[in-house]
Amino acid sequence: MPLLLNILIPAVFAGIIFFLGKRISAQQSRRLFVLCALLNFVSALLSQPLFALTQLGSWLFLDRFSAPILLLSASLFVWVSIYAGGWLQALDDMSRRGAERDSGFRDPRLFPEHVFLSCTLLFLAAMNLAISSANLGLFWVAIEATTLVSAPLLCFQRSKAALEAMWKYLLICSLGIALALLGLFFLAIAEPTQSGLNLFALMEHSEALNLQWGKAAFILILAGYGTKMGLAPFHTWLPDAYSATPGLVSALLSGALLNCAFLGIFRFTQIMPVALLPSCRQMLLALGFLSLLTAAFFVVRQQNYKRLLGYSSIEHMGILAIILACSLSNADMQRVLLWHIIGHSLLKVALFLLAGNIFLAYGTRSVTAVKGMFESMRWNAFLFLLCLLMLCGSPPSPLFVSELLLVFELGPWLGAALLFLLFMVAAGMLHAGMRMCMGTSPRQESMRKAALLAERLFPMPAVAAFLALSFGVSLIFLLIRTYTIF
Amino acid sequence: MNGLIEILLLSFLLCGFLLANSSRLMHCIKLVAVQGFLLGFLPLAVAKVEGGSLDWEVLLLAMINIAVKGAVLPYMLQKAMLKAGVRREMEPLLGYAASGLVALSLIALSFWFAQQLEYSEQVVSRLAAPVAFSGILIGLFLIVARRKALTQVIGFLCFENSIALFGAGMMLQYGALIELGILLDVFVMVFVMGIAVFQIKQEFQHINADLLNALKERPGK
Repeated sequence: MPLLLNILIPAVFAGIIFFLGKRISAQQSRRLFVLCALLNFVSALLSQPLFALTQLGSWLFLDRFSAPILLLSASLFVWVSIYAGGWLQALDDMSRRGAERDSGFRDPRLFPEHVFLSCTLLFLAAMNLAISSANLGLFWVAIEATTLVSAPLLCFQRSKAALEAMWKYLLICSLGIALALLGLFFLAIAEPTQSGLNLFALMEHSEALNLQWGKAAFILILAGYGTKMGLAPFHTWLPDAYSATPGLVSALLSGALLNCAFLGIFRFTQIMPVALLPSCRQMLLALGFLSLLTAAFFVVRQQNYKRLLGYSSIEHMGILAIILACSLSNADMQRVLLWHIIGHSLLKVALFLLAGNIFLAYGTRSVTAVKGMFESMRWNAFLFLLCLLMLCGSPPSPLFVSELLLVFELGPWLGAALLFLLFMVAAGMLHAGMRMCMGTSPRQESMRKAALLAERLFPMPAVAAFLALSFGVSLIFLLIRTYTIF
Repeated sequence: MNGLIEILLLSFLLCGFLLANSSRLMHCIKLVAVQGFLLGFLPLAVAKVEGGSLDWEVLLLAMINIAVKGAVLPYMLQKAMLKAGVRREMEPLLGYAASGLVALSLIALSFWFAQQLEYSEQVVSRLAAPVAFSGILIGLFLIVARRKALTQVIGFLCFENSIALFGAGMMLQYGALIELGILLDVFVMVFVMGIAVFQIKQEFQHINADLLNALKERPGK
């Protein structure tokens, strides 16, 4: 039952906020938004395998892999919803001040706030549906729905760049997902059981899959959901979309949506027959390393800090693909996969929210124009550097553990290549981060006020960073216990 | 082999070919509408030819399909076209004669490719797979080779229709709920894209998608 509630609660609240619209004040609708996020979190907690039956008919289910992801995205959403209230308030303050200064001020919002909030909630509902669906067709419908309801979020603040990013996102992702649909049809041809794409039946009869059609299906699915996930040759929409949108939208896209798309590929590897696993492994490895290479190439000397974070998402999706490839031959790696997903999501949400704060204060996304963050916004700067360091995999971070185990698993040659690429990404990211934090900040009055507003928004990213830190520390203790390296 | 199904499939193919050749957007929208209608009609024709009884579920789905893909979507596209005030694709990236040739070679390619695959016995017609592949390739080609954002939407619809045709032609069973979900997604998709075209027109004063190129990597200073 909680499984259904996960989807219904956000959808119903979206309807309520949309239809009440302007009849309630902006404050009230923001409070409703937070309330919905909290309820969703409770329901996600109750639907964990510990508390409840984790299957509803042949449509919804949670297993050891998807249950933590559901909880993760529910908790991310709580922080983002609380942050959203403060952020919208800060936007209000700034546009009021701008309107006082000159009368021809144009509100940068493309559509009203309640539409934005209800679209975000629908986005959450679609993601929950995707995470908990036990039917690959239903999963496809949910993933396509996430694209459609998140597209308006991208251009909440009207600008040419945002519209362009939205168009690319819509077109490229929809094309990719349509390819995945073709892959599903191929799968339906390949499987002899006529189960209607039900996951349990497919897993049970995976050995009876027709190899030729099954392999074609896997290629199409990898290309399709890989587009949505941002794997390398299909990643082109991702940096554009992340750079042009408000921080909290990119936080949701990166922290929650990419995991859902990844889950699609993961489910598909679960139903592949053993004979196809080596070729699946090769394809995943190739795409993973290509993503890492692309990210390393574009991160070095990157001039836009939100694109920088976007490329880092591509990097980590590549690492996920590589870990998945390893987990096909060694089932222990599935836990590592989960650790990496959780660590990446926590850190990426914190970083994108902080990037939103920086944009609020400085009004630019250029690395060179942002200077002296340690002076103007001390807490944000401290957290930004800390999270960047952890994202690059420096020790107390959960990503350190997962990447270390991955290097052990890959062996000397591939491991060395991985380490080299990781080092390049880290160098590029830290270079940009240090440049932004050091130096003297500009002394304009308007910027100082905006920086004060942004400084007040630091608690939610701090929560995410703290959780990532403690998760990493406990993983390291676990690692020392199990492997007794010393 | 029965003539009716083959006629439907070949008309679908012809619509795809004409799409690559026509410059007037209104014409393109009508062609996509015809494609949607043929697609909705296919399961009914199959049921009639095979002589089986017509399920109410099949009937209902076919009706909804025809209504959405044959009428509602084209209507929304037409509204978006009028709002954005464009009638023709004036300067395509690839001329119309060349487009026709490319479309022909894509069709040839898909017939060749479809011959390489093994099919099960329950395929509606041997033509279904090649026709679907041709439509998919022509849709992709339209998205790449045309400048107007609206033509890209039309290309996407052609792509989507052909994938659906593949599903219908292979007699795949994936349940009414899923089918309705897919249809709903496509519907919302075109709705959102229509709004997006209008907003792009407002902001940029044109809807040439190839000029949407401000976001890219800049060389470091």
